[in-house]
Amino acid sequence: MSLTAPAESHFEENMAAFAALLRAEGLVLGTAELLDALQALRHIDIADRTAFKTALRATLVKSERDLEIFERSFERYFIPLTAQAEHLREATLQMEAESARLKDAAGELSFKGEPLPLSAEEMLLYTSLPEEQRQNLQRFVQETEAAEKEMRPLRPLLETVVKGHLRYWHSRKEQLSPGSGAGGSGGGAGGISGAPVNRERRLRESDIRELSRADLPAAKALIDRLSRQLARRLVYQRQRSASRGALDFRRTVRANMRFGGRLFSLKYRRKRRSPLQLLLVGDLSASMKRYSSFVLQFIYGLQAAVANLELFSFADTLEYLTPALKEQTGLEHILERVVLEGESWGGGTDIGASLTELFEKYRELLTHRTIVIMVSDTRTVRLSQALAALQKVQERVRQVIWLNPLAPEEWSRYRSVREFGELVEMWPCNTIDQLEKAVSGRLFAANTYLEQEAGNDDQTYSYRR
Amino acid sequence: MQVDLTALRQGFVDVGYICDENALLTVYLALKLQKPLLIEGAPGVGKTELGKTLAKVLQTELIRLQCYEGLDETKALYEWNYQRQLLRIQIDSRQDGNKLEEEDLFSLSYLLERPLLKAIRSPEKKVLLIDEVDKCDPEFEAFLLEVLSDFQISIPELGTLHAENIPVVVLTSNNERELSDGLKRRCLYLYFNFPDVARESKIIRSRVPAVKDHFAAEIARVIAHIRSQEELRKKPSIAETLDWTRALVALDKKRVDGAVVSDTLNLLLKNRQDQLLFHRKIGKKGIDQLLQQPDTPGGEQRCL
Ligand SMILES: Nc1ncnc2c1ncn2[C@@H]1O[C@H](COP(=O)(O)OP(=O)(O)OP(=O)(O)O)[C@@H](O)[C@H]1O
Ligand SMILES: [Mg+2]
Repeated sequence: MSLTAPAESHFEENMAAFAALLRAEGLVLGTAELLDALQALRHIDIADRTAFKTALRATLVKSERDLEIFERSFERYFIPLTAQAEHLREATLQMEAESARLKDAAGELSFKGEPLPLSAEEMLLYTSLPEEQRQNLQRFVQETEAAEKEMRPLRPLLETVVKGHLRYWHSRKEQLSPGSGAGGSGGGAGGISGAPVNRERRLRESDIRELSRADLPAAKALIDRLSRQLARRLVYQRQRSASRGALDFRRTVRANMRFGGRLFSLKYRRKRRSPLQLLLVGDLSASMKRYSSFVLQFIYGLQAAVANLELFSFADTLEYLTPALKEQTGLEHILERVVLEGESWGGGTDIGASLTELFEKYRELLTHRTIVIMVSDTRTVRLSQALAALQKVQERVRQVIWLNPLAPEEWSRYRSVREFGELVEMWPCNTIDQLEKAVSGRLFAANTYLEQEAGNDDQTYSYRR
Repeated sequence: MQVDLTALRQGFVDVGYICDENALLTVYLALKLQKPLLIEGAPGVGKTELGKTLAKVLQTELIRLQCYEGLDETKALYEWNYQRQLLRIQIDSRQDGNKLEEEDLFSLSYLLERPLLKAIRSPEKKVLLIDEVDKCDPEFEAFLLEVLSDFQISIPELGTLHAENIPVVVLTSNNERELSDGLKRRCLYLYFNFPDVARESKIIRSRVPAVKDHFAAEIARVIAHIRSQEELRKKPSIAETLDWTRALVALDKKRVDGAVVSDTLNLLLKNRQDQLLFHRKIGKKGIDQLLQQPDTPGGEQRCL
């Protein structure tokens, strides 16, 4: 397929504009991709819309996430000519109908022969009301007109009432159809598994505490999958670091050439890393229940990847969950039971008492290798006692990390957040995405590599060139 | 490279690999532009199989590099043959006189070729399948990127080796980790979804010829229905569809119904929670109801 020169430059401009649209939607696109796309188009029949789309997709899209954006943008940008004409006709018809309705409306809402001074927006709102509501308003206007004959001028009052009414209906409508107005249908064809991808993304990115009940099973499954994935990765890493302790043959042969093949000096690769010991303390009080059980589930899924994992929950008192888990029953049941049995319900979250109990009764679990993860929104009774208890725990262990489900913008509003935050490292993580990133990126990255042994005199082995 | 779309399409049919036009055209473009093709998608949807298929269709050898965490240059590129080197040193040290030079030891005859080097040094064009690239570490990925950019390899002791024929490169990933932008930028991209009912029944017929059309369609519908449960930990893959089909054939089944599915469920859903979910959400009844409904023609998609 060859394109003539002027058409081509027009075409390239068009493509560049499309690329800019994709970029604005979040795709990482450079000139290289654009050139690939243009080159690919030379090998297909660009009059074939499906082939055209495939060529652009293959060259411009680089991930599953981008795929969905691409589908949407393509359908919007490359509207087939026939559809374009259709759109235009529909839009014109719609506008004509609207202006006719507006005219009628002005007649319907007039007071003593003069239309009420409503804005265009208010007029449109009025025309979109159900018939019954419109008649109510009309009747109201007419009755006022009748009443005015006997009383003082009512016009100003009438105007306020009608406008207030319309405002009310406006807000009602928005509540009834959330998210309407945005997006729209975006063209029928294609539709590559939009739904599941969308759903997962939404689950990952929305505030855990705001997930709807209907989302919970899928969110749990997602958490479970992510944590098992992460565990698998971490286990690999460990196995691999163990194997790095092996003999490095290349360097050994080099070093021993002069000894006639006897291996005097052996060269080794790097040594292993130390696995983690985690102790998690999760707030299971009513406001934190869902969030904490998500985090608990996530960390629990990592069991295979850590040397030791201890789970505690608290509300007003501390509960040691690990033993129950060893007798199988499953985390979910245990959490349910703990929440239900929470004896002195409503006693208020007491971080201080819980941490003190942890410190006194489970001291042997707090070692210099332990990383303690607190899961809480910091709300507690007796703050100063809680701070003191946390400090004592912190002095015994390697590190305390606080996972806070509150959005960081809110942090400065709470004294407790500020004060705990000064004492220990506090990480925001109110979505599944953030949770995963915090645990895989920060917790493990920062801690698995700590104990890398110094290695030997030779420089380390790498993929340089 | 001499490829044309029609021949490629026919080649896929001949080998029994059933893909849609989107996949076919993307493969074609990768060949035309001589760029690596990166395929992502859930486990068992035919990513690896596409690489193998391509070697068959192009009638050339498949060179496969299986990635895993810890994979390094010595496994992927080349390694010196230490046994032989040591032997040589030992022999040499007995017959004193001529002094052994380092060049003698680090020459082509002591080099063990690994997949990447093999693909580059090969006199004919090969298909290089870099499987599950998301499993290797970022450092190795960076190294791969270098190789895939220049198709040349420098070996400190020998100098630079250039590719005589740029191989056809297929990379697959399960998306366990985001690949680097650099690597993605080098590649054309193809995402595999689970197939629709029409395509899956064709795959079934292609791989298990003993199955009749109607039976294959029933199987595909049941699988699609089970996959529509978003909460599954692991949705059944094509590989599992095929295992299940073969089992049904072995059990001499000619039709699917709720009882059959329930009896053989552990071939489709491997873990306990998913099986429970099936019983809770679909169950024997759900399957029977599904199969009583007429075939929905909605899933008509152009297959090869
Ligand atoms: N389009 C297809 N046509 C015919 N057979 C197919 C097709 N797709 C998959 N299969 C069959 O399904 C099986 C699984 O495919 P394959 O191993 O390629 O999956 P995969 O995507 O590489 O999975 P994984 O991510 O687990 O490596 C193969 O044995 C192959 O026979
Ligand atoms: Mg595979």
